[in-house]
Amino acid sequence: MSVQVSTPARRPTGEILFALVFVSVGVAGLLTAGSIPIPPSETGIGPRAFPYIVCSMLVIVGTGIVAQVFRGKVGQAEESEDLDVTAKTDWVALAKLVGFVVLHIFLIEPAGWPVAAAVLFSGAAWSLEAKPLWKAVIISVVLALVLQYVFGGLLGVSLPPGPLLEGVPFFNG
Amino acid sequence: MMLLEGFSTALQPVYLLYALGGVFVGTAVGVLPGIGPAMTVALLMPITYALDPAAALIVFAGIYYGGMYGGSTTSILLNTPGESSSIVTALEGNKMAKAGRGAAALATAAIGSFVAGTIATVLLSFLAPVVAQLAVGLGPVDYVALMVVAFLTVGALLGASVLRGLASLSLGLFIGMIGIDDSTAQQRFTFDNPTLVDGIDMVLVAVGLFALGEALYVASKLRHGPVEVIPVSKGKNAWLSKEDWKRSWKPWLRGTFIGFPIGTVPAGGADVSTFLSYAAERKLAKGRNKAEFGKGAIEGVAGPEAANNAAAAGVLVPLLTLGIPTTATAAMMLTAFQRYQIQPGPLLFENQGALVWTLIASLYVGNLMLLVLNLPLVGLWVKILQIPRPYLYAGILVFAALGAFSVNFAAADVGILLVVGILGYFMRRYGYPVAPMVVAMILGPMFEVQLRRSLQLSQNDPAALFSSPFAVIVYVSMALIFVGSWWLRRRQASLEAAPVKDELSV
Repeated sequence: MSVQVSTPARRPTGEILFALVFVSVGVAGLLTAGSIPIPPSETGIGPRAFPYIVCSMLVIVGTGIVAQVFRGKVGQAEESEDLDVTAKTDWVALAKLVGFVVLHIFLIEPAGWPVAAAVLFSGAAWSLEAKPLWKAVIISVVLALVLQYVFGGLLGVSLPPGPLLEGVPFFNG
Repeated sequence: MMLLEGFSTALQPVYLLYALGGVFVGTAVGVLPGIGPAMTVALLMPITYALDPAAALIVFAGIYYGGMYGGSTTSILLNTPGESSSIVTALEGNKMAKAGRGAAALATAAIGSFVAGTIATVLLSFLAPVVAQLAVGLGPVDYVALMVVAFLTVGALLGASVLRGLASLSLGLFIGMIGIDDSTAQQRFTFDNPTLVDGIDMVLVAVGLFALGEALYVASKLRHGPVEVIPVSKGKNAWLSKEDWKRSWKPWLRGTFIGFPIGTVPAGGADVSTFLSYAAERKLAKGRNKAEFGKGAIEGVAGPEAANNAAAAGVLVPLLTLGIPTTATAAMMLTAFQRYQIQPGPLLFENQGALVWTLIASLYVGNLMLLVLNLPLVGLWVKILQIPRPYLYAGILVFAALGAFSVNFAAADVGILLVVGILGYFMRRYGYPVAPMVVAMILGPMFEVQLRRSLQLSQNDPAALFSSPFAVIVYVSMALIFVGSWWLRRRQASLEAAPVKDELSV
């Protein structure tokens, strides 16, 4: 009763690959733990013992999950209020979201945080099919400016205002 | 009398405003579907970065209780409850709302939370200093025992799959090791990368797993179209009737005394206590009231809600006195404390007594504010529930990115956030619980230090780990908890199956 029995329609390839990620992190850890330097003064179990224990756990548990999945016992996907459990995974939307986070990362320094945040918000809203788009864009600009004002100006969190807002005093802490 | 001093700080007008802000923002964010208390604390951490320690703790106390309150509103009013921590409240509360008794369900939840929260905070005020005094005598061996219990209950007991819980736990332990070893100052798993030498910040992992991971997961299967919220009926009949009061007060008290002890031991915090309270109320109900279970019995809302809040206060006992977080939310609170160089543990009450008592005093204050704020603002919470989902999840992404960036003001940290978020997505998709990872990440380094200290003292004799009577008692109780939990799990499975059957027969 610890796991749900799967419907035969779903192929567990992805799940096995994910369990193998745990195994490979463990294997990589076991291989590299031997090169952690031990200071000569060490009298206890030293800095390598705990890494060996944890990485072995990763390998054992990961292998156990692979074995379980092969025997047809797959994991039970998490539930959430806004989730349509019957829907197929929307990989396109996911890729768009990840893309916009990456874009956000590269925009923070050159364009400033408010611009990067507005791009992230409107991009994410567009990826999730917000309609109409112009409304999402307006909300994103307002939200980004409010956050910049509250956090950068009032709370003194140093968010880079970027070239556009550099000269506006209340956007800077 | 230290508590009175705490009150004198917490009741200063500025701090009252901070408390009000904390409970308000905490509730508002907690109301948002899919956002549990742990995520609320993680997401709101940037708000406090610029505050002084006392103000920050007061805000956190408000967020901590407010986040709990918000969750119950969601599960009562939203048509599609699914969050595990509030599932028990949803069981009866959702049915009550559908039958036009939404206001009564919200009221019994709010008043029950207040009663339980207040009693539990009183218990906390008396118990915490005593436990701290006892804890001063604990040695490394005893800490190892306590943390083993915390690991196993969080990792193995609470999820649906033991192996997946342990996998999540191990990965958290691994991430916790990245950086500089506390005992010998050697680098581990850093691959000479300057970003990794300082270790991976807890906030990045927590926000990545809870906020980004959840947003990506929901986005992959988003329910499109309008959001259905059950309307809250107004008028005299909707409010708690005399009979409702009569049926509620005992469950409130029972829930409190079920929730608080469970919160204080590392046995899973709120989830377990709400289930136990629900089972107790169902068993104790008689006649007509019993028949109402599964169709909207008020006891089934009153008890679990009280238990939930009492457990939340109980969790603070091991957190403040031993420095051991037993839930993901507690792990987030500990992270917040550490940012202010506050190290919870037996010495906390001696070294930083003024701050701790201010925190405890603000728990009382926050609790009262929640009662006053919550019911009149139901209309606002409903509006928040109705935020179009594309905006909601876009907003969560922006806040997550803001939180990650403001840790060190480095764009690279947002990159780490994204990697952890993608990990969190796949963990949800394949049924891995994320809470064990968060708890393990913060508890792992402490555990290793204590383990190595114990073994060093005994010249590496592992038998020493069982040498103290306290440790032996802890291990024996752990065995008992495990046996008990197998029994409970079987009960819970049959209980969760029961309401479905009812629905089919209607």
